[in-house]
Amino acid sequence: MIDRTHGFRIEHGDCRGCLSCMRICPTRAIRVRAGKAEYTPDRCIDCGICLSACPSNAIVATTWSMTDPSRYKFKVAVPSPVLFGQFPAGIAPSHIVDGLLTLGFDAVWDYGVETGLICGAIKDYVKGWKGPFPLISIDCPVVVRLVQVAYPRMVDQLVGVQPPREIAGREVKRRYSRELGLSIDEIAAIYITPCQAKTISILEPAEEAESNLDGAMGITEVYNTIVARANLPGAEPGFAARTPSVRNSSFLRWSLGDGLSRILSGHRYLHVTGLSNVTQVFDDIEKGRLRNVEFIEAHSCWSGCTGGNLTVANVYVTLSKLTSLINALPEMDPETRREVERRYPSESFALERPIRPRPVRGSGTTLRERVEMIHRAEAILERLPGLNCGLCGAPTCRELAKDVGMGDASQKDCVFYSKDRLKKLREMHLRPAE
Amino acid sequence: MAEVLLQRKFQVRGLDFDKAGDTSAEVKAILTDVGLDPDVVLRAGVISFEAEMNVVMYAVRATLILTLTEEALSIVVDDEGPGIPDIEMAMQEGYSTASDEMREMGFGYGMGLPNIKKNSDEFVLESQIGRGTRLCSMIELDSR
Repeated sequence: MIDRTHGFRIEHGDCRGCLSCMRICPTRAIRVRAGKAEYTPDRCIDCGICLSACPSNAIVATTWSMTDPSRYKFKVAVPSPVLFGQFPAGIAPSHIVDGLLTLGFDAVWDYGVETGLICGAIKDYVKGWKGPFPLISIDCPVVVRLVQVAYPRMVDQLVGVQPPREIAGREVKRRYSRELGLSIDEIAAIYITPCQAKTISILEPAEEAESNLDGAMGITEVYNTIVARANLPGAEPGFAARTPSVRNSSFLRWSLGDGLSRILSGHRYLHVTGLSNVTQVFDDIEKGRLRNVEFIEAHSCWSGCTGGNLTVANVYVTLSKLTSLINALPEMDPETRREVERRYPSESFALERPIRPRPVRGSGTTLRERVEMIHRAEAILERLPGLNCGLCGAPTCRELAKDVGMGDASQKDCVFYSKDRLKKLREMHLRPAE
Repeated sequence: MAEVLLQRKFQVRGLDFDKAGDTSAEVKAILTDVGLDPDVVLRAGVISFEAEMNVVMYAVRATLILTLTEEALSIVVDDEGPGIPDIEMAMQEGYSTASDEMREMGFGYGMGLPNIKKNSDEFVLESQIGRGTRLCSMIELDSR
């Protein structure tokens, strides 16, 4: 099996083996065989639903912490636009920037310019694309991984343009290494992320290239410091002059999931949010029911990135705050526009490598062997009760049958076929009677 | 004839637009499970989808049989329907007898049969007026 890093880990000490994560996992990547949850790395798409579903908090997002590497001489925070909608009234973008500096960052990068650049790059990409359609946005790493795992035939339709945060990482290093005379390796660009999926897109990019960002910190990790700093007496936003703060609405709109709707208005464009809705739309594409659509901007979270699993504030409040910020700002201020026009002709925004499907399980075996696995699984499925109780440790009878077919499980894992299994479960999950 | 590794039979009903596409989705799912090359699955998907749509649009009912051997996969669709009076004409790109209603749904642009042929390594179409049509399509698998 391929060893693949993911944006979280399961703490076995805290896992009670309750099956919540196994039942909710949309790609059926989780099994609970010996009383502890385990996941199949090549099936996991990092949607993070299991993190929120776990009642024991045994599934933990891996992020970068400020105490981590001190090898960097200059650390730059690159906050997701979502961060600016997370705080109570009275905490302005400039307070947020100041809070990040308090945390130990040397600078904060607002990637409004990069958002403008990527809007232009995607517009040109769509214009030059000959098919197949629809093209699919790659800003949400979960959507990218979903396509790689479940819709491998559609990988070429993923837009081959990097997300703004990656271009921001590249520019941060270029700019500060020039200004400060440091090498690129001495500068850290740390993304302030609304979800663990973006962390993994930095640590392990889907296209197997190297990210321009060096790590990610969850909004949850920076939130308290920002609030505390903003509430200190004398914390007036007088420092706003020396720090960049949010200047245009196109940057903030990116976090709502339909950041491309305006630039693609002349195209047949769909804005799809929520993993089950995304799956349904992709199924319809595969079934040929959705024809004549040119572009799909898809996000795993129903409210775009504002609903990420490393956010703090109520999602409706965040949406409302972002909307009022958006309404008060120009689409793109003249300074940003000038910068976009200056940089656009001289930079490349293409993905460094194409995104490929993930190798399927059982590759390396012959066609005959794989067909035999399917036949075995079908034969087993006939004998299983079809109740999908999950007590075997697989989410459905069908999944158990497939596992048995591949030799990863036994029919005796089914409680209908083994008293031992039931006895073991009783010992593990029932307290002895007084 | 090479040894059959796997065979599946599906029923497709005419005018069942609600279920249209389900059979080809199943074909693709099985072939993905078997671990065939995505390109082969894509071609098989186009063939089964277009054939399925032809049944839904024009025929009464049909069976679609998917057969897999070590060397090739075949898709055979046998329908009960009006038949095709002029096969040569039907094979021309852009030729269609679809109603406006069907075109509005995004079908009937006369690309179905040419598309099937383009994606097949071997393709045979036989028809009897008033009886039905039989479509045989084959894709060769790379030796692996």
